[in-house]
Amino acid sequence: MLIEGSWRVCDDGGVRTIVEAAILAGDGNWIPVAFLIDPAADRTVVCGEILASLGLPLLSSPTRLEGVGGRAECALIDTQIRMIREAGATVVFKGQFAAFTDPAALDMSVLGRDITNLFALIIDRPQDQVCLLGKGHRYVITSD
Amino acid sequence: MSDATPQIEMFEITDPNEIAKARAMHEQFQRNWDWLEAHASDVYSHRGKFICIAGQQLFVGDSIDEVLAGAKAAHPEDVGRLTRYIPKERGLRIYAYRGIVAGV
Repeated sequence: MLIEGSWRVCDDGGVRTIVEAAILAGDGNWIPVAFLIDPAADRTVVCGEILASLGLPLLSSPTRLEGVGGRAECALIDTQIRMIREAGATVVFKGQFAAFTDPAALDMSVLGRDITNLFALIIDRPQDQVCLLGKGHRYVITSD
Repeated sequence: MSDATPQIEMFEITDPNEIAKARAMHEQFQRNWDWLEAHASDVYSHRGKFICIAGQQLFVGDSIDEVLAGAKAAHPEDVGRLTRYIPKERGLRIYAYRGIVAGV
């Protein structure tokens, strides 16, 4: 399995690793969302601005989220995240995901280890590559 | 801190209609993001605002509902709407959010 990401320009001019996906909303529609791929994030987190458009019931979270800037209020949502894999096929991740309720707490949703641990994650700025590799795909490191 | 990750079920969608819809959304979303990157200085100048890009057009407002309403009215055919909250201040980012088990 191959899910391709990309390097995208963010609001501060920084170019970061992004994978484009969609989240299943409460009305059955899919809402497009860009996830920042963060290999150090323990959990996938939906930002407040996307949460507000999902219309999903908020579940109380047994965990809190903490970043360098401190803690912020969060909840859990029971939903699905859909991504496009190679040849246009689709893969879905179903489960409970954390979400910030304050839109200002996080400006972009984050793809964390609960999903990235299912793959080999390739982040290669010099070669302009961002991808998640699963069964049927692999990478090889060679010397010149 | 517990390192246990939550249970995530992964499966594939096989319905050709659903796959076609997903691809169409993905392509529209990419077009809107390409447009954003081509107009980044303008889009990201709206500090503290919500933005939506639909049909390669920018909508700016004070709430997500406001920008989505404008985008849906102008481009109802575009399901690849790109929404963002533009932080009030620019700055280097360190994300790396970690879960902490709350005290009982």
